[in-house]
Amino acid sequence: MKKRVIAMLMCIILMASLFAACKKDDTAEKEKETSTNTETATDAADDKAEATEAPKEIKEFTAFFDREGIELNDDNEVQQLIAEKIGAKCKETWLTGQTAEEAVGMLIASGEYPDFMNWSPELQDAGATVAIDEYFDKFPNIKNFWSESQWNTLRQADGHIYSMPQFGKINEKVMDTSQGGEAFWLQTRVLKWAGYPVVETLDQLFALLGDYYAANPTEADGTPVIPFEILAYDWRYFCLENPPQFLDGYPNNGRCIVDPKTFAVSDYNITPTAVRYFKKLNEEYKKGIIDPEFVTINHDQFLEKISTGRVLCFVEQKWDFQTAEDAIKSQNLEGCTYVPLGITIDPGMSEMYYAANEAAVLTGGLCITTSCKDIEGALKFVNDLLDPEIVTLRSWGVKDVDYNVGADGLFTRTQEMRDNAVKSEYKAAHGCGYGYFPNYTGMNPDGINAMLPDQQPAEFFVGLKPEVQECLTAYGAETYVDMLDYNEIDGYEQPWYPMWSFTNTITTETPGGLAWEKMEETKHQYLPSVVIAEDFDAAWAEYMEAYKAAKPEDFFAEMQEAVYARIELVQGKNVRP
Amino acid sequence: MKAERIKEVNVKMTWKEIVKQRKLILLSLPFVAYVLLFNYVPLVGWVMAFQKYKPKDGFFSSKFVGFDNFEFLFVNNPDFIRVIRNTLAMGVINLILSFAFAIAFALVLNEVVHKGPKKLVQTISYLPHFLSMIIVTGIVRDVLSIDNGIINDIFIKFNLIDKPINFLTIKPLFWWIVGLSNVWKETGWNSIIYLAAITAISPDLYEAASIDGAGRLRKMWNITLPGIKPTIFILLLINVGNVLNAGFEIQYLLGNGLLQPVSQTIDIYVLKYGISQANYSIGTAAGIFKSVVSVILIFLANSSAKAAGEERLF
Repeated sequence: MKKRVIAMLMCIILMASLFAACKKDDTAEKEKETSTNTETATDAADDKAEATEAPKEIKEFTAFFDREGIELNDDNEVQQLIAEKIGAKCKETWLTGQTAEEAVGMLIASGEYPDFMNWSPELQDAGATVAIDEYFDKFPNIKNFWSESQWNTLRQADGHIYSMPQFGKINEKVMDTSQGGEAFWLQTRVLKWAGYPVVETLDQLFALLGDYYAANPTEADGTPVIPFEILAYDWRYFCLENPPQFLDGYPNNGRCIVDPKTFAVSDYNITPTAVRYFKKLNEEYKKGIIDPEFVTINHDQFLEKISTGRVLCFVEQKWDFQTAEDAIKSQNLEGCTYVPLGITIDPGMSEMYYAANEAAVLTGGLCITTSCKDIEGALKFVNDLLDPEIVTLRSWGVKDVDYNVGADGLFTRTQEMRDNAVKSEYKAAHGCGYGYFPNYTGMNPDGINAMLPDQQPAEFFVGLKPEVQECLTAYGAETYVDMLDYNEIDGYEQPWYPMWSFTNTITTETPGGLAWEKMEETKHQYLPSVVIAEDFDAAWAEYMEAYKAAKPEDFFAEMQEAVYARIELVQGKNVRP
Repeated sequence: MKAERIKEVNVKMTWKEIVKQRKLILLSLPFVAYVLLFNYVPLVGWVMAFQKYKPKDGFFSSKFVGFDNFEFLFVNNPDFIRVIRNTLAMGVINLILSFAFAIAFALVLNEVVHKGPKKLVQTISYLPHFLSMIIVTGIVRDVLSIDNGIINDIFIKFNLIDKPINFLTIKPLFWWIVGLSNVWKETGWNSIIYLAAITAISPDLYEAASIDGAGRLRKMWNITLPGIKPTIFILLLINVGNVLNAGFEIQYLLGNGLLQPVSQTIDIYVLKYGISQANYSIGTAAGIFKSVVSVILIFLANSSAKAAGEERLF
């Protein structure tokens, strides 16, 4: 009998422990929630004098951005400094080992989100985003960040605004010294070796690469030089896919070409220039100029190759290989830093690689999710980050540590400060840009300095490596932008620009969206095979057949309508034929 | 062998019987609860396959669309058909290679007389089993690399080729690369069970065969193999059901844009539509298809084993 009781007891305990195990997690979760609540309950005082006196509770927010980024150390100095000033901080996490869509999809499937995310149509569709326009009056920095007409372009079907675009707000004037976007990037040593020739066309570029490679097939340590690298991984295959639009002298609409006069949308994938470009790549591949491994490498491996200094030339967006460029700088690899070239298909054309633009029609941006327990607190955090003092902390760092202030209020840096700024350990331990939160470009709010150290005219040129200075001077340029044609795209005159922001809002629900998905898949598969094909013409024909099967006309019809809709939205006129 | 099978007992389920077995029932309850909670409750999600599911609306307010999602998959969708082909091909290749190599390895290892080397070889051979796929694919990439990859190096040394080959761009090779990577990872581990089965074979049989003048190969063929035949069949049956689980990680990690047409498996397709495109309904429909086919395969294999009078699962 006793035995039986014990056996029964054991069973009950086993059962109980099973449920207890589930429950424990629950309570732990609850505890966590309540703890963040109490933390956030005390509203941060606006008065800064008071803030410095009494240590107040610091609200902690979480953010996930579907981009690769540097995770800051938990005790990051500037982050801590900002937290003490505004009473809030945010733990940012970034993409690791997944594609952006998968990472966001997983979060949607789980139904639990960090406080801040990058807006996506899927998130909106899942009801994961919070309308923020009702709070705007309380947060003037956010409200004034974009103009009213710009904010209005962000209204969703229900009339509310759910996101705050972070980038492209030009404060006062454009201060760009660097090409942040796409270009053919070439190492200065190649240009120096050839005596700084004019390199305008694709043919000239590859002739130069071929000559240099023939003369210098290996690095000093014997590793082979890679004359041309292509990034064809995931969504970053744009480096292989979209040059035809630039080669024809159009700006980076990214999905199509828009004629500024007729507003007609056309497809750069099938232009004669596209054929010439891919045929050229195919020829160069056969000659061994293009890294045969380009088909199989991912973005990390790509950056790794760039960082070794072995790669002479490639197409990329500057922000996307900045870390590799920094690595080259901190290793002091002679002649291996890159300058942008505005390559066109024929000589004597104007190009639009660089285009200063504040878009009139906005999409996406930072959004607050339904998992956020303190929406006002989160918005206050974003609002405070736009405070002039905090803006300077984010972009320049700490006074006397990261920059010095002259008598005229101009910021300068010593060489040591400049070196620190490109070290990844230093950035993780000290710097805190909150890069995916809204921030200005152009001028610093103080009206004296540039927004970023690299854009400070006096600071920029002396901060360059001597080899780059020499190269720029040889071409009569003072900045990277001077290496390219200077373009400004007026957001009001050309409100459709950039069209890629429209494709970020479509889903596979519409025929155009589905066609876009198919086109992407087809191009992703066939473009590398076209480049490495034995018989280019046959491979191209095969590609074209598959491409047509994806029904690109559905997609471009939607793009055309989007162009008309954007013109109507901003200029108020109907230009549909 | 057949005589050993336990006779099935037919006990009628009555309240009396339940009361009599209450301790057993109570003991099994936690595990029944576990299976219900983690294996059956999630099946509720299958309802998504028949809806136009939106996370915002949930199961209850999403629109029912009948078999539209299945129609999307099977009618005029060469992509999905190709995905099924890839999954089946890689599944079958994996099945055959893993069986052949594991059995052969067990037989060969069994012939090693010295205990020490045998143990050493066995231990080393199953080490890769404990590596995660991301590491295995890293090793595979390195081995196949054109930049000092060992295979290209060897081929060039022996003058078989004059220029390194980028193996991961050649479509017909991909399935075999996946299959052989699996062989490398799992052969040692899979052979453990056969080695165990071999030790259960009575030494008398070998002695008798030796006296009759049988050599090593003869003994392998006529004693060892028949001895482990029941094990082979049971494992084969279990694995046939897994054919459509041809893998996800290895294809996902080794694949690239160019290899897409041969590397995408059903699991990757589900991930792509279900998670990346947030089209949960299509993802679920593809998942259901996979489960149904797997169940059918198991039943087919089992009944054919039954018809052939061999070991079977149920």
